[in-house]
Amino acid sequence: MRVVDLCLASEGTEVILATSSDEKYPPENMIDGNSTTFWTTTGMFPQEFIICFHKHVKIERLFLQCYFAVPALRQGAPPGQGTPHRRPKGGQEVRGIRIEKSNAKEPVDFERWVERDLVLTEGQMQMEEFMFRDGYATHLRFIIKSAFDHFVSVHKVNIEGISVSSLT
Amino acid sequence: MVKLAAKCIMAGDATVGKSSLAQMFRSDGAHFQKNYTLTTGVDLLVKQLTVPDTNDSVELFIFDSAGKELFSEMLDKLWEHPNLLCLVFDVTNEQSFTNCAKWLEKVRVQLQGSTLPGVLVGNKTDLAGRRVVETSRAQEWAGTHGLEYFETSVKEMENFEAPFRCLAKLFHQLYRERLELFHSLV
Ligand SMILES: Nc1nc2c(ncn2[C@@H]2O[C@H](COP(=O)(O)OP(=O)(O)O)[C@@H](O)[C@H]2O)c(=O)[nH]1
Ligand SMILES: [Mg+2]
Repeated sequence: MRVVDLCLASEGTEVILATSSDEKYPPENMIDGNSTTFWTTTGMFPQEFIICFHKHVKIERLFLQCYFAVPALRQGAPPGQGTPHRRPKGGQEVRGIRIEKSNAKEPVDFERWVERDLVLTEGQMQMEEFMFRDGYATHLRFIIKSAFDHFVSVHKVNIEGISVSSLT
Repeated sequence: MVKLAAKCIMAGDATVGKSSLAQMFRSDGAHFQKNYTLTTGVDLLVKQLTVPDTNDSVELFIFDSAGKELFSEMLDKLWEHPNLLCLVFDVTNEQSFTNCAKWLEKVRVQLQGSTLPGVLVGNKTDLAGRRVVETSRAQEWAGTHGLEYFETSVKEMENFEAPFRCLAKLFHQLYRERLELFHSLV
């Protein structure tokens, strides 16, 4: 079995749900194989999107090219600009992304798969890498719980793995 | 065309007119609450505004709470991840103005590093004879804190939409700025 990029529209993969969409920055921009095009969130968190492979796949590696950070401090900026990163009371980190997967034919029965806190990078695209062993899925659901800023861009979802079988 | 969604929090002392302002805006001036009732719990008011000269709109989710919760846990939860701030004081009440600094501090704690576009609203301008906070003073304070300043009389239905229109515009501007930033990433 050949390892391919499973997350391309040209391979039949689809984004079947996205909580927000600007006509100019549609969710399809995440799976067009081009990291200069992107999807943006358009406000209040959480935000999510669901990817459907239309087949059973086994995922080995997942890369997320995105931007979750707050831009550099500016002069005369509105209140709060540049306040240092601090954890909210109770120590629970609420910023971050969670990926869930499903093996069903329909986008149902999602189980929690991985969860990751965000790191703060400035003015630079982030590359989040995830490695898997139990990577069987038909759908993936990405939940952006919240970020450092009001808006987030996701430029590319790259998923390395193999096609296992078609949906029956 | 895009529809943005913003969580807007109402902050300020009790009785300055936060709930009146939010409700007046929500109902397009249809009702003014004559009798004083301290807001119990939380009110969520939703209203969509179009951004002038664009096909875009901003849906404001206005979270209003009673001022007595200044230091409560509930407020922490309610104020999680705000996108916009509407800070209100009463122009006839000196303390409600000086307390704005405290409110701003309280909001900052929630921000965790991000910006928060906001407006300062001096309400109850109809009570001209009892006015103690002058426009210039409020304007200056707002300016030093990066807030736009508005004066309203919810009672006289004066200018009550302006602060929210401004907030929608600020949020839309922020979105446009971020788009540019996203485009510049490599
Ligand atoms: N004279 C006058 N009274 C107002 C105005 N806005 C609100 N009030 C009154 O102030 C009181 C407190 O208003 P409310 O909206 O409950 O304040 P909140 O506690 O900040 O939410 C109510 O009796 C309102 O009728 C105004 O512009 N002028
Ligand atoms: Mg109230």
